[in-house]
Amino acid sequence: MMSKRTMRQVFVYGAVCLAIFLLPMLINDDFLLNRFARYLVLAMVSMALALSWGYAGILNLGQAMSFGLGSYCMAMALKLRTIPVHTGSEGLPDFMVWNNVEALPWFWKPFYSMPFAIAAGIIGPMIVSAILAWFMFRGRVTGVYVAIITLATLVVVNLVIIDQQWATGGFNGITDLAQLELFGITFDAYSATTYYLIAICLTVCLFLALAVTKSKAGLILQAIRDQEDRVRFFGYDVALFKTMVFCISAGIAGLAGMLYTIVMEFASPTFLGVQLSLSIVIWCAVGGRQSLVGALLGAILVAGMQGALSESEVFLDTWTLVMGALFVLVVLFLPNGIASLGEKLTEKFGGRRATPEPAKRGNSIARSTKLAEGK
Amino acid sequence: MTAHLELSDVSASFNGFKAVNGLSLKVEKGELRCLIGPNGAGKTTALDLICGKTVPSGGSIRFKGIELGRHDDYQIARSGVGRKFQVPSVFRQLTVRENLEVAYCKRNGVLANLLRWAHSADSDGLDKLAEFVGLSDQLNVPAAHLSHGQTQWLEIALLLAQDAELILLDEPTAGMTVQETQKTADICNRLKGKHTIIVVEHDMGFVKAIGDIISVMHQGKLLAEGPVAEIENNPKVKQVYLGSVGISGA
Ligand SMILES: Nc1ncnc2c1ncn2[C@@H]1O[C@H](COP(=O)(O)OP(=O)(O)O)[C@@H](O)[C@H]1O
Ligand SMILES: [Mg+2]
Repeated sequence: MMSKRTMRQVFVYGAVCLAIFLLPMLINDDFLLNRFARYLVLAMVSMALALSWGYAGILNLGQAMSFGLGSYCMAMALKLRTIPVHTGSEGLPDFMVWNNVEALPWFWKPFYSMPFAIAAGIIGPMIVSAILAWFMFRGRVTGVYVAIITLATLVVVNLVIIDQQWATGGFNGITDLAQLELFGITFDAYSATTYYLIAICLTVCLFLALAVTKSKAGLILQAIRDQEDRVRFFGYDVALFKTMVFCISAGIAGLAGMLYTIVMEFASPTFLGVQLSLSIVIWCAVGGRQSLVGALLGAILVAGMQGALSESEVFLDTWTLVMGALFVLVVLFLPNGIASLGEKLTEKFGGRRATPEPAKRGNSIARSTKLAEGK
Repeated sequence: MTAHLELSDVSASFNGFKAVNGLSLKVEKGELRCLIGPNGAGKTTALDLICGKTVPSGGSIRFKGIELGRHDDYQIARSGVGRKFQVPSVFRQLTVRENLEVAYCKRNGVLANLLRWAHSADSDGLDKLAEFVGLSDQLNVPAAHLSHGQTQWLEIALLLAQDAELILLDEPTAGMTVQETQKTADICNRLKGKHTIIVVEHDMGFVKAIGDIISVMHQGKLLAEGPVAEIENNPKVKQVYLGSVGISGA
């Protein structure tokens, strides 16, 4: 029993995923394929942010924290796999030898096990986020303050990782990794295999997130986004619902982080940097934070443009300016992002009854101010 | 037997100002109680205290014999208290039907709601509710597009979907036409007996149409209590309403 709208969504989401799966057939260049794989990973984080920001009104400026934690989990596991090849006499990762570390730190040891590393890359960020969310949402922190706290947490985690060079590789991150091997398949960063791994993960996460939004809990989250206080008087524990969506979002971001390490072949503090974290927000806003697939395409589009612009000679110095202008334009004229263009078109040509005009304009203004407030 | 809802010597203070000051009130199960009083008497605050929006600074509030003061707002709602706010408060971005589904909250847990589809079959009665309050043509319209009166209706329908044991209505007929007010009175009369209801209202015609016993508040305290006729002739009540027009002019 699906509504028309849900059916249309499933159709569009399926079509986008299909296109993603068909892409490698058109591309013969491994380099280009690697780049697209990278965009898909970024699309995954952006989609995860849409789930918490667009559907529950939680503007998480620290989304990159979960992403980075995931990427370090994978990097630690892959680093340990290189040890027979790369190390000095102690059997330690190279950067530890340079830092005069005597023995492998205890928290590195479980990462000899790949299943542990994969579980840690997803569950680790979820636990950290659950603790953070619990304190914020129990204390009924909302709006801009959530944005500030999540951003501050990101900065702290980032500084700790940079500071603890002996265990994390500091500024350099963790480099010279082995290639991931799972079920006898080797995942070379510059191969279609890795691309498909990412495409599968993206598809699964996208439909999982869609299922969340279509559940009753998803509806309650949207009600919370609208009027948090009112929801409480129907007997729902708002803090618990927000914590739930915050954690699911973190889990997806963590998985994306692990995949990012696989395509980039290293982990770096920039993966949980402020710049990346804010970029995620921009992708999500440009694509449309109230549409999962919109946020996903927004990331591919904007990250793709970022890549193209920053490499072209003409825009070498001005590309950040161009990106900023794009962001401002979208926020001003399409408060619900590029995805709302699609909605408007289907409304126009799909023969649906037009919604009454007068309230609409006020509504879009209300939405753009809400955007500014970080709702 | 203890009353369904019992407030004894309850106070609420905002920065030292006592909006409710030693209020005592007993409401029996199935009763419809009207709460009236001049502006600023503390009626809204009294409802806020019962539903947990405001934490009492003293006294005790017992619902079904259980002390509410220690509980969070959502826990109080779960124990069976529903509230309609003075400023109509619905989910403006959600459609009428989605609003009703959120309000229909037989199970409150996160997991239970994560594993259940929205628009599920067990909420079919919601369409009938929408029909009941005359919103069946607006089921798929976002609540933001409703008129003020319709928004009031929607919030009343939300309370019916919630099916709370104790219903608190804060000025439900504000902004309604005569016919709409009449319809609200009908609804209240139908609910009487099945639910315990407290209605804060200014419209004396409405109060007469629905009320048995009226409680009058003034300056955070209970001023008088009794049947409509008795209250109308009470000299103290006349005085706080400035005598001139009687309570019907308030
Ligand atoms: N949150 C608040 N902070 C400060 N004063 C308040 C607050 N809520 C109500 N009051 C004051 O308490 C008094 C009673 O208000 P209220 O309960 O809304 O009255 P009524 O609903 O009877 O008109 C008013 O004087 C009002 O200004
Ligand atoms: Mg009031």
